[in-house]
Amino acid sequence: MSHSALIVADLYAEVEGKRILKGIDLRVEPGKVSALMGPNGSGKSTLAYTLAGHPKYIVESGTATLDGIDLLALSPDKRARLGLYLSFQYPAAIPGVKVANFIYAARQALRPGDLPPAKFRALLMDRLQVLDMDPSLLGRYVNDGFSGGEKKRLEVLQLAMLAPKYAILDETDSGLDVDALRAVGDSITALRADDEGRQTGFLIITHYPRILEHIRPDVVHIMLDGRIVKTGGADLADRIEREGYDTIREETTSVA
Amino acid sequence: MPSTLASVADSMLSETARTNALAEFRRAPGEHERPGRYWKIDLDGLEIPFEALVQGSVEISFSGELPDGVIACDLATAEREHGELLRQVFGCTEAASRKFGTLARAYLTGGAFIYIPDGVELPHLTVTHRLVGHAGVASTSVLAGNGARGTIVERIEAPAGAFVCQTSEIVTGERAEITSAAIQQLPLDARILASRGARPGRSSRIAFALADLGASLAAGSLDVTIAQPGVESRVSALFFPTSTQHVDLVTRVHHDVGDAVSRTLVKGAAAGAGQARYVGSIRIAAHAQRSDASLRDDTLLLSEHAHIDSIPALEIAANDVKAYHGATVGAIDEDERFYIETRGISRTQAERMIALGFFESVVDCFPTETLREQLREALAAKIG
Repeated sequence: MSHSALIVADLYAEVEGKRILKGIDLRVEPGKVSALMGPNGSGKSTLAYTLAGHPKYIVESGTATLDGIDLLALSPDKRARLGLYLSFQYPAAIPGVKVANFIYAARQALRPGDLPPAKFRALLMDRLQVLDMDPSLLGRYVNDGFSGGEKKRLEVLQLAMLAPKYAILDETDSGLDVDALRAVGDSITALRADDEGRQTGFLIITHYPRILEHIRPDVVHIMLDGRIVKTGGADLADRIEREGYDTIREETTSVA
Repeated sequence: MPSTLASVADSMLSETARTNALAEFRRAPGEHERPGRYWKIDLDGLEIPFEALVQGSVEISFSGELPDGVIACDLATAEREHGELLRQVFGCTEAASRKFGTLARAYLTGGAFIYIPDGVELPHLTVTHRLVGHAGVASTSVLAGNGARGTIVERIEAPAGAFVCQTSEIVTGERAEITSAAIQQLPLDARILASRGARPGRSSRIAFALADLGASLAAGSLDVTIAQPGVESRVSALFFPTSTQHVDLVTRVHHDVGDAVSRTLVKGAAAGAGQARYVGSIRIAAHAQRSDASLRDDTLLLSEHAHIDSIPALEIAANDVKAYHGATVGAIDEDERFYIETRGISRTQAERMIALGFFESVVDCFPTETLREQLREALAAKIG
């Protein structure tokens, strides 16, 4: 029996007493790209935070497993050590902690002693270049005084450096200009071509299909009001591009 | 400070000078005893070991290259051989009239004197005051000439249970650049009362980098008096009481003339049952137009029983000034911690990272990497 997947089953979750997730079923396969699309407020970010283990997001029922292991029973750091990565929509600033030291600490926590500092540095410079980021950023404090675009690139830089088993990208594309979006796309493409990242399964959360032109999804899920209402192939994203969410909302509500 | 000068004109180590200073000490308002709801130090409860102070002596040593013309000696030698110079700094800053400054003068047995002549650069000098016995006065006087530059680090070595009274004064000529740094790491049952003062000359830069980590009680004040235009003053301080330590810090920047810049940055954290009070005062006199002053103090509480009162005191009488005050107070931010945890780093490690990062902007103001590393290690050890 193969459990190699990130599997969410019938998940209900609430935030500050309000039920946001109303029975989510989802599967992210290694090496594959799933897109989760939906308008603002549909619960996409709540799913991301719930899977990563934010203390404010309370699971009411349902399960989430990573390669067969119950994620929901674990603290956020243990989920990360199992191979889960969340690229935040709004990453927190950590004043006084330099970017290079932070990423090194994270890599050490996830893969203790796998890279000597010099090799880590070389890899970091390489990944930085793909993202078209200035090396001076490594000496700055994590997200402290960063522009919106810099924060998003730093999330992707960490993704590229940590090569997790499963990566959730929560609106990593929002607020990025065309060039930045291409750089992010290139970075993820490079990671997927690399031995470290070949098996990474992606859950790309977005409400615009733009990013999906750079990273073609294998599966597209549409989320409305805390439920996944439609699942299809990459063509579903193209349809959202043309028609928006309204027609899907009409279809699904008329069926119900 | 003409009255102070008069009292030391004879000899700062004379009986008369001491008696006068002691009388001043008894009269001086207890600046650390602030009435009201804030935690304060009860001077009566301090049980100052006057007897031990009388008997105490302090050994002075210097380490670092001394360029030609630089004088680094003990106070008695300075008084004997460089009296004219000494009198330009000793007792010439606000520190001399502060409560603990008067106490220091009353029980002074020696001290350090450093002189950097015009245009000379003193790269790095460490002054070590080593207490012989359980009580003593650590006194440092620094006089810098026109265009003189230098970095001076003060260290105090004292045994367990020691009582230290510290005074440190800096006076500069024009266009001088002086950095003064001190990391207070006394034994956890020692006590230290400190008063520091600086009087930078026209267009001079003065920088203080101070850390209070040790002692059961560390009460200190710093006064920077800007009496000449063009001065740039930077005061960076951190404190971190843990277990049952108390810290009481007062910084004051007096803009007595305009066209000067001051930056005060203070980071205070407390853990265990650590207690602290910080008073940050900026005073801009009515005629001190075009002053540019900022005061930033941040407070981080790492346990339920830790307590810090942070009290800004801005007194601005001029109307054409830039004055900024910003403060934050709180515990470790949940979202910040969560963000770090999602990178595989444990909750404990994440909190440690946040706490160490909190101090970093002040750590960065210390003049050498050796000091910065020493400070980071000491902070990490205190976080545990």
